[in-house]
Amino acid sequence: MTPTVVDVRGATVALGDRPVLHGVDLRVRPGEVVTLLGANGSGKSTLVRAAVGLVPVVSGHVRLFDTPVDAFRDWHRIGYVPQRTTAAGGVPATVREIVASGRLAHRRPFHRSTKDDREAIGDAIDLVGLGDRADESVAALSGGQQQRVLIARAAAGRPDLLVLDEPNAGVDRSSQEAFARALRTFVASGRTVLLVLHEMGPLAPLVDRVVVLDSGLVVHDGPLPLPSGLAGMPHGHIHADDPGQGMFG
Amino acid sequence: MSMLSLEFMQRALLAALLTGLAAPAVGTYLVQRRLALMGDGLGHVALTGVALGLLTGWAPVWTAVVAAILGATAIELIRAHGRASADVALAMLFYGGIAGGVLLVGLAGSTAATLNTYLFGSITTVSASDLWVIVALSVTVLVIAIGLRPQLFAVCQDEEFARVLGLPVRAYAMLIAVMAAVTVTVAMRTVGLLLVSALMVVPVATAQQLTRGFRATLALALVLGVLPSLAGVVFSYYVDVAPGASIVVIALMGFALAWPVGSLVQRRRYRSLAQAAEADARLASDHVTAEQHGHQHDEQCGHPGVPHGNHVDYLHGGHLHAQHGQHYDEH
Repeated sequence: MTPTVVDVRGATVALGDRPVLHGVDLRVRPGEVVTLLGANGSGKSTLVRAAVGLVPVVSGHVRLFDTPVDAFRDWHRIGYVPQRTTAAGGVPATVREIVASGRLAHRRPFHRSTKDDREAIGDAIDLVGLGDRADESVAALSGGQQQRVLIARAAAGRPDLLVLDEPNAGVDRSSQEAFARALRTFVASGRTVLLVLHEMGPLAPLVDRVVVLDSGLVVHDGPLPLPSGLAGMPHGHIHADDPGQGMFG
Repeated sequence: MSMLSLEFMQRALLAALLTGLAAPAVGTYLVQRRLALMGDGLGHVALTGVALGLLTGWAPVWTAVVAAILGATAIELIRAHGRASADVALAMLFYGGIAGGVLLVGLAGSTAATLNTYLFGSITTVSASDLWVIVALSVTVLVIAIGLRPQLFAVCQDEEFARVLGLPVRAYAMLIAVMAAVTVTVAMRTVGLLLVSALMVVPVATAQQLTRGFRATLALALVLGVLPSLAGVVFSYYVDVAPGASIVVIALMGFALAWPVGSLVQRRRYRSLAQAAEADARLASDHVTAEQHGHQHDEQCGHPGVPHGNHVDYLHGGHLHAQHGQHYDEH
């Protein structure tokens, strides 16, 4: 049996009394880059949240690295980028401080950070092109730069699987390109990515497989391009004449 | 100085020092979680505990700790269930706390003057046994607040991310609530239950006018908590007012001084960041030059090659390099 990184089978999820997913299957194998597409309210965000154990499934099961999610303990293997509009909280925090949180799955309470931790933090900040902002307050950065901080935070754990929930929402062009570059580098080292997107944009050339959700059901699971029947779906369209030339050299 | 030779003043100053450290230490996390008013509510609830102590003859400091911890637990449970009516439930808990406290103090036959010493602090009432409780509790709070900073910061910053890190988020959130409850009790003798929240929040608000990082804010808030606490107690020695009031007024004066300085510094920083944004656009654009290279990338260089369109990138120290004329680009 080939190993699977994410294995969701027959997952039914309800938020409150409202059913959001109806028996959804999602399998991601090592080294794959899988994108979830779908309109607002199609359940794509809920599906990744269920996959990382943030929302419980009513029926069906979720496995991460072939371990049931309830029994999963190797959280350092997962880097999660939640859907956020800002990285700032009630108290100022520097880029480095927020990215350092991403190392906590490797650190024990009351122990100092190691050289390894500090190296990984520096690398993650460089990866998203914010090396010269590392000691700046995140609140002073643009929305796109703050999104890159959240990606660096997930990358700092040097995870085997990166799960990103709409990392490109409301992000300026230069940040989208910095993000595409970061993702290319991550994928090149043979690691796995599960990505929720509103639209493919400049990331299309990186993606191996697209799963399209509609009203809590999987309506397509396969490589790009999408079948013509789905091309007209809201936000599911691909910019066919924008395969990333120039952007990716 | 004769003031320092008085035993009650020694005790009051030591209590103020520890309170001035513990309150902003916990307050930083409360402000980070956007729960700035939690200390206020816990102070109300602790009053019922004090009154129970007066009524039963048990030490009020212990009954207050128990009541505040129960209150904190209730608040965390209500929050964790995320009901829409949570804020109304909390409000009722707080009203119940203060009304119950005043009622029970009356039943215990205590005077309004006694009640006031708990509500606004009193420098003459820190007993030797109180002091030991204050030392033990505040040192515990400080060790946790400083020692678990990375974990508590992560939980306060982004609860969902912290859960996917595998951190015991519920336990840490509960820990912060209990620390806040303990701090309220520690602060009861110096700033009092009604003003304790100010000592948790105002030093943090002042500090963040001048800082850009979390650790720096926490450190400066500790200093800005200690100074008004000591100054307020000394002021109360010379002028017969409740120390709580003088501590909070001094802390607020600090904020009034820091605020214009902070907004000036910030405006200047934003201007320089706007200039730096152009540099960022360059950094993030198509053509980024890699650092100086000692060797040529080819099949033999040892760096894994990754096909990319019409050429091959080489994975080199976490970066993808592609040849471009005489140099390498970041891809």
